[in-house]
Amino acid sequence: MGKQSIIPFGPQHPVLPEPIHLDLVIEDEKIVEAIPSIGFVHRGLEGLVKKKDFNEMTYVVERTCGICSFMHGMGYCEAVENVMNVEVPDRGKYLRTIWAEMSRIHSHLLWLGLLADAFGFESLFYQCWRMREKVLDLFELTTGGRCIFSVNKIGGVLKDIDAEMLQTMLSVFEEMETELKTIRKTFLFDYTVESRLKGVGVLTKEQAHNLGAAGPFARASGVKIDMRTRGYGAYPDLDFEPITSEIGDSFARCDVRINEIFQAIDLIRQMIGKMPSGEISAVVKGNPNGEYFMRVEQPRGEAIYYVKANGSKFLDRMRVRTPTFANLPGMLETLKGADLADVPLLILTIDPCISCTER
Amino acid sequence: MAKLMSFKNTVLKNLFSKPVTKNYPAEPAVYPKRSRGHIEINIEDCILCGICSMNCPSRAITVDRKAGTWTINRFDCVQCGYCTEKCPKKCLSIVPGYQEPMSMKASATYEKPVEEKKKFPQADTEVCVFCTLCAKKCPQGAITVDRAEKKWELNKDACVSCGLCESNCPKKCISMKEEN
Repeated sequence: MGKQSIIPFGPQHPVLPEPIHLDLVIEDEKIVEAIPSIGFVHRGLEGLVKKKDFNEMTYVVERTCGICSFMHGMGYCEAVENVMNVEVPDRGKYLRTIWAEMSRIHSHLLWLGLLADAFGFESLFYQCWRMREKVLDLFELTTGGRCIFSVNKIGGVLKDIDAEMLQTMLSVFEEMETELKTIRKTFLFDYTVESRLKGVGVLTKEQAHNLGAAGPFARASGVKIDMRTRGYGAYPDLDFEPITSEIGDSFARCDVRINEIFQAIDLIRQMIGKMPSGEISAVVKGNPNGEYFMRVEQPRGEAIYYVKANGSKFLDRMRVRTPTFANLPGMLETLKGADLADVPLLILTIDPCISCTER
Repeated sequence: MAKLMSFKNTVLKNLFSKPVTKNYPAEPAVYPKRSRGHIEINIEDCILCGICSMNCPSRAITVDRKAGTWTINRFDCVQCGYCTEKCPKKCLSIVPGYQEPMSMKASATYEKPVEEKKKFPQADTEVCVFCTLCAKKCPQGAITVDRAEKKWELNKDACVSCGLCESNCPKKCISMKEEN
């Protein structure tokens, strides 16, 4: 047994867009154990339910994270709508689901870029982010915002997408699909990428299940868990199967996420083809009374929104369980036995969002 | 070989194509119509009811009814657009164009032109069923309804003439009339 030493990693590190600290116990360049500490960006958003009424909270919840902002707002609104027994009109559900899938595309493209950056492929990184920019432009066209959209409200959505915008979306996604197919070749069939990803940070199906992993991180290990199959939003009308891989290494996580982008584009096409007409939001009367657990599939995995209301306009309690929080134990497991040089890459493979985790 | 040169097509394409980035600021940015840049107010239509200020999640708006001013701290505003949703007169709108950076937080104050005559709600007590909905909807609590005594009273000092009582009355017995 070699000499063990501890290397502090983060909270400030070039590969980390957000702060998380790890104490890496190493033995001859191999990680023996990783001890995490979080809490650098806690903002107490959940506590704001005491000061902001349940309608205003929609705008606070959206600001939990800049990447899955829309999904946060959507999850919270659906939780409150379930408490109040409000039925969102079909068009409202479709619009929400289109924006949710667009969020998945831009989040995965952002992650692919960061991954390329982590293994030192700068030009690939810029290719991914260039594509992501097109999705952000579509968001600005349809919602008015590029990162924070503010289109969700209790009862439906605030803005409609007209036929012209839907046509623009179709043509942009067609173009993007072609570009993505080219990029996919580099991610999945290139020696340099393979050498950095294949066999690195393997998490078996049993480990992923036992450690409560969520989202693409769990699906890459063969756990077929996808909250979209639960049937919220417009998903019951759509034809899709969760994308999984049996391998469980970093390469499989990359593969699953790339295929999920294609799947999201396909889902958007299906929704545009079936888009119902009519109202985009329902009239909401009174204050919520009761409690509900809402589970939505964010780009990073399953997010849970717990809402407890007492009949007044201020909620009793609001709690968000984010996918990164669920994936941290899995990430620590993948770090065990890994090379020190692979640590930045392995942290990235769970697609960490620390501001979500700490709220 | 394919595995080594997988990025070649992308590189060649990028070498012989124009940059995707714009030559900003020489070439100005083009924002779509819906772009949430900043809040604009049509102060002439504003009735200074304060509903925007009460509902603003970041508390960026201040309404001073006595002074007749509507103030927004542009640096506190998060462009969520909730005020535009809540405004009963729809005099607030969110338009493209971002706030320019400044060395310190600055507010923009709009002064409402003085009106000659103010409109107040009046209920037709013969049609009124004293359902109290107008009193519940009044943002200032200016209306008192006594169902037992069949009385409908208005506190003119508190009323901001927002017209919410008129639009919410199920019997349509409230109308906005000029003060005599």
